[in-house]
Amino acid sequence: MQLIEIIEKLNLKTLTNVEERNVEGVFISDMLSDVMTNAKSGNLWLTIQTHKNTVSAANLVNLAAIVITHEKEVPQETIDLANRFYVIILGSDLSTYELVSKLVGIGLTP
Amino acid sequence: MAEEFRLNLNIKKIKEVLKADVVQGKKLLSTKINGVYASDLVSDVLAYSKSGSVLLTGLCTKQVVISAYLSLFKAIIFIRGKKPNKEILEFAEEKNMIILLTENDMFEACVKIANADSNSISNFVKLIESVEKKNTIIRKFHIDGQDFSNSGLLSTQIKSILQNIGYDPYLIKRVSISAYEGEMNVVMHAKEANLILNANEKEIQIIIDDRGKGISDIELAMQKGYSTATEDQRVLGFGSGMGLPNIKKNSDELKISSEVGAGTKVEMKFYVIQE
Repeated sequence: MQLIEIIEKLNLKTLTNVEERNVEGVFISDMLSDVMTNAKSGNLWLTIQTHKNTVSAANLVNLAAIVITHEKEVPQETIDLANRFYVIILGSDLSTYELVSKLVGIGLTP
Repeated sequence: MAEEFRLNLNIKKIKEVLKADVVQGKKLLSTKINGVYASDLVSDVLAYSKSGSVLLTGLCTKQVVISAYLSLFKAIIFIRGKKPNKEILEFAEEKNMIILLTENDMFEACVKIANADSNSISNFVKLIESVEKKNTIIRKFHIDGQDFSNSGLLSTQIKSILQNIGYDPYLIKRVSISAYEGEMNVVMHAKEANLILNANEKEIQIIIDDRGKGISDIELAMQKGYSTATEDQRVLGFGSGMGLPNIKKNSDELKISSEVGAGTKVEMKFYVIQE
């Protein structure tokens, strides 16, 4: 599924520059090593971690985008770093669980 | 869309690093620039450049300046000591463009500008030594312990070095993930470390040698889920006890030696599979 379609259907906020990307699957974790080990490239990563290191992790694993749930505020330095490395960060006011159920609802099933 | 600055550079900084003369636009030195485009072909400039950039060229004709103006360049740098004529300068003045002159050649000028960009990742990693010999690339970096603000950037830099060499993407992913875990271990647990990257056509080797508290029981440290991370580090999503197991999973050879109170040395190897 295409990233822009997901952003529009789930009304996600775009916190960084956005470009069209193919999304293949979803990965949920707040532990960085877990993301490094188990996330696959092209995954949408749902997390509540907002510090700069998430950008390096997303970049190293080639994730499609990071979605910060629970309307958590993302520090400007994280956003700046993400823009520099073409990492896309999105925001949602839903909880991770609610967002997952909506993702499944639009057809992004495992 | 708002103007996006991928570079953190202004004309003044470029003037300094190139030791350039500003022959037009002295009042515009604080102008920020968006990118750099180096070419001697007018058609290239029109086709591929990005607005807000600076043009580096050895071609000193009015056509170049007109093309640069049409492509929304903010400045032109004439390299190799080329001097524009009066007509060119008048056109630039009328269009509020900046003209700089430098003795550097194209390659030198590109490298100097790239190094001056404070947004460039190479400014966040501390390169101690860089050696290239017989198909082997050796890079030695320094990592500061407890520096969470820049952690992860060295692994990102290693990834781009390996991409530039042209290794298989899956191999690069394994190496970068392992480097990331090694880097994070230093940031969390050690005072400082040196990281050596050694890459050739047969294998990629990473050695991380730290000064820190050391590991008393390596076997225990290798167990999934075992961690001595602090509560603060765990809140940031570190310390899940997956670092070393993750390196083991992604590397072909892993050797850890440690002395309590002195430090830990982690050596990892990744085989390059020839097709």
